[in-house]
Amino acid sequence: MAQLELNHISKSFSGTIAVHDFNLAVETGEFISFLGPSGCGKTTTLRMLAGFEIPTSGTIRLDNRDLTLLPANKRNMGMVFQSYALFPNMTAAQNVGYGLKVAGKPKAEIEGRVNEMLDLIQMRDFARRYPNQLSGGQQQRLALARALAIRPQVLLLDEPLSALDAKIRLELRQEIRRIQQHLGITTIYVTHDQEEALSLSDRIVVMRRGVIQQVGTPQQIYNNPAGDFVAEFVGHINLLPVEVDQPRQGIVRLGSQLIRAGQFEHLNGRPVRLAVRPEELKSGFVEGANNLTGKIESVTYLGAIVRIRVDVDGHLVSLDMFNERALNIPAVGQPYAIHFPVGACWLTNGEKE
Amino acid sequence: MKNKQLNRKSGKDPSRWKSLIGLLPFFFFIAFFLVMPSITLFSGAFQDMDGQFTLANFSFLQNTFALKSYLTSIWVSLITSVIGGAFGFFVAYATTSGRAPRWMSTILTTFSGLAANFGGVPLAFAFIATLGRTGFITALLKGICLNGPDGAAICPFNPYDHGFNLYSVVGLILAYTYFQFPLMVLTITPALEGLKKEWVEASTNLGSSSAQYWRYVALPVLLPSLLGATILLFGNAFGAYATAQALTGGSIYLVTIMIGQQIRGDVLGNPNEGYALAFGMVIIMSITIFLYVMLQRKTARWIKS
Amino acid sequence: MTKQKKNAWAIFWAILAMLYFFLPMLGTFIFSLRMKRGVLSFMAYQSVLADSHFLESFRYSATMGIITVTISVLLLLPTVYWIYIKAPWMRAAMDIITILPFVVPVIVLVFGLIRTFGRPPFQLTLTAFGTDILMTAGYVIITMPYMYRAIDVGMRSVDVRTLTEAAQSLGSNWLQVLTQVILPNLRIAVLSGALICFATVMGELILGDFLVRPALGSYMAGVGRSKAYEPAALAIISYGLTWLCLGLIQYFSRGRQDGQLTGR
Repeated sequence: MAQLELNHISKSFSGTIAVHDFNLAVETGEFISFLGPSGCGKTTTLRMLAGFEIPTSGTIRLDNRDLTLLPANKRNMGMVFQSYALFPNMTAAQNVGYGLKVAGKPKAEIEGRVNEMLDLIQMRDFARRYPNQLSGGQQQRLALARALAIRPQVLLLDEPLSALDAKIRLELRQEIRRIQQHLGITTIYVTHDQEEALSLSDRIVVMRRGVIQQVGTPQQIYNNPAGDFVAEFVGHINLLPVEVDQPRQGIVRLGSQLIRAGQFEHLNGRPVRLAVRPEELKSGFVEGANNLTGKIESVTYLGAIVRIRVDVDGHLVSLDMFNERALNIPAVGQPYAIHFPVGACWLTNGEKE
Repeated sequence: MKNKQLNRKSGKDPSRWKSLIGLLPFFFFIAFFLVMPSITLFSGAFQDMDGQFTLANFSFLQNTFALKSYLTSIWVSLITSVIGGAFGFFVAYATTSGRAPRWMSTILTTFSGLAANFGGVPLAFAFIATLGRTGFITALLKGICLNGPDGAAICPFNPYDHGFNLYSVVGLILAYTYFQFPLMVLTITPALEGLKKEWVEASTNLGSSSAQYWRYVALPVLLPSLLGATILLFGNAFGAYATAQALTGGSIYLVTIMIGQQIRGDVLGNPNEGYALAFGMVIIMSITIFLYVMLQRKTARWIKS
Repeated sequence: MTKQKKNAWAIFWAILAMLYFFLPMLGTFIFSLRMKRGVLSFMAYQSVLADSHFLESFRYSATMGIITVTISVLLLLPTVYWIYIKAPWMRAAMDIITILPFVVPVIVLVFGLIRTFGRPPFQLTLTAFGTDILMTAGYVIITMPYMYRAIDVGMRSVDVRTLTEAAQSLGSNWLQVLTQVILPNLRIAVLSGALICFATVMGELILGDFLVRPALGSYMAGVGRSKAYEPAALAIISYGLTWLCLGLIQYFSRGRQDGQLTGR
């Protein structure tokens, strides 16, 4: 029995559908990310979980108890906001203790729990500081501690790292995962950053225009994306317009060059696209792999990797290489041979989205 | 660029003082028309008729007449700042974040700007025309019947037969409220808008009731602004002269009215006591404005974070 | 995103506030129409407009208003500009200095002005011209907090330092920078400040009354003492005038404007 269940959840705002038929079962201790571009309905779904929005239809069940219509202050779910939402008139300790205070817990218990939480986020020394005396990263850690102090059954995080600097974001990302695993708390994490979702989650829910596109582990999402949208949104991908050449042998044609792409009877006769991740492509010719030749169109340094774009019969193909010192950077305009394993690519029905 | 660097480094750099040259006309004007008149009054307040230093002028505080004017002024200012402040706060609360219909909010915000700036003689006229002995509403009330406490109908109902009098402190409070509460709306609205939506949500999420949110979060956050705005209203009423003069013809002795009469003809019988009276006003206003500025800064720090 | 519940209390306070705003206006307006017994007429307005003293005091106050605005802009614009360019460290101090006119109530200011300048060596109150100088100075002081704030806000929003450096690098001298670059960019700010100044001067009672000059405020006070219906008409006219000034500000700036105008 799953701990948290969302059954056929839909939500519309004055006629506009924000979320449509959302179904998900979350196990205890699971870390789930809602991933998608802005306006995809991920935050609305989270807010329905928190009780700030009432679903137009569907039910939300926690530990087999229906809480679809339960007021937000009775749900026992801790929420962390993008803008921290710390109370400016309270010290760090008072912020963390707030939930226990309004619940009427005895002073000694509040104090003990607050110290425990501050230790968890390693901010005991900052107990007496006010939020405006803390850095963004510290404020967000404090907000996390505040949400956890009430021993919530579910932790909700709404783009908690978006307002922070790149470096702090990385640090805090690891901290969130550490604390989540330490406490074993069921967590829903909303983000538009695919890297965050991939690195943190047990499972990812990819959403688009209010509809779930795919639910799966990071590997499933990345390696076997369900559709072009997921493939393009998560990581980088080459989507190359190809023509079917020999359906039986699974061979397609890019310009004048042939590519073996596996079985695709179901696509017979229709325009198709070939999907392959840039990191699967290598330079040079290898017997038995798919080999293409073209001309270097551009070379872009991205730090750890170098992205090379090759013009193959008028189609641009990207490949990513590790930026090793020994790497021989080709010059623009130079002829270039590339290859990728047959199993690394797949065909899509080619709908332009 | 060079200037900028110099200025930044320098605590005692002479160029820092040179950079004040362009401000001389302004300082000269302030010195001439604000500081000098104030000094005249201040020094007069501490001199006797022969120009010798004395504190005797402040004995006006033993003069029941003058002391009473202070008490009346402070009382009227307190009442109108509390009533106007509370009323204005509720109105501002109603107009922010769509709690009242949008068209009402628009009208209220616009008219607050107007009414906060509408005072003095015309305001007094408007109240006389509306609630005066022959005013519009008084006339309307005279045309209706009310049941008195003994059950007998009172016809016509003339408020002036039942203790109401516009040309009194009550009328003054009514008239002052006309500009006090809109000023409150104007000063407190930014603070109310500064209450983040996420604070309510965070508080609710942590299990608080709406009342607990107001008690522990919203009111404490608003407190400096509320106090500051109320203090501003106090100062606003305390320095007012024209409305009271035009409404009551100077029959209510506010400090400002007393000073006015002192200017026209030494009613206190000692010009230096008049200076002391004015000096006292400046002291009270200074405290008021000082507190207001301090509270504003505190608020700014919170809202920024 | 969330739809706020239309709160019954909010509507209650909103309606109460609107009644407070409109009832006196409505009452005054209807009252002002009742001069002729039994019918509603604009007779009170005709009576006011036909009064040569009204026109005279109106013209006097309007002239004083324009002079005040001119002097105030000439005094404050270069000052604020100078602070932004040469002495930014003075800004905190200026905020305090320009709030000082609030600390000295108008009645106290006029008391001080009379006692300081009405005596030797100045004796400004001996002539009408001298008194007018005193009046203008008083008006400039009273309206300084508004004018300063309007110009300060304007300067902050256009980043005068960068504009100045850009203009100078293109070869402008100080005067050209101020008149051709800064002023055009501050038009709206200066205009808002000017309208607030003007409205204040038009409604001001104390300076004109105690310095015995024929200002509109003193004229109105006089009418209030001797007549019944004309004051109501004057209140409506005055309402309209304030309305016009604020409306113009809102039209030009489309932003929020706050603070109060009149010295009461």
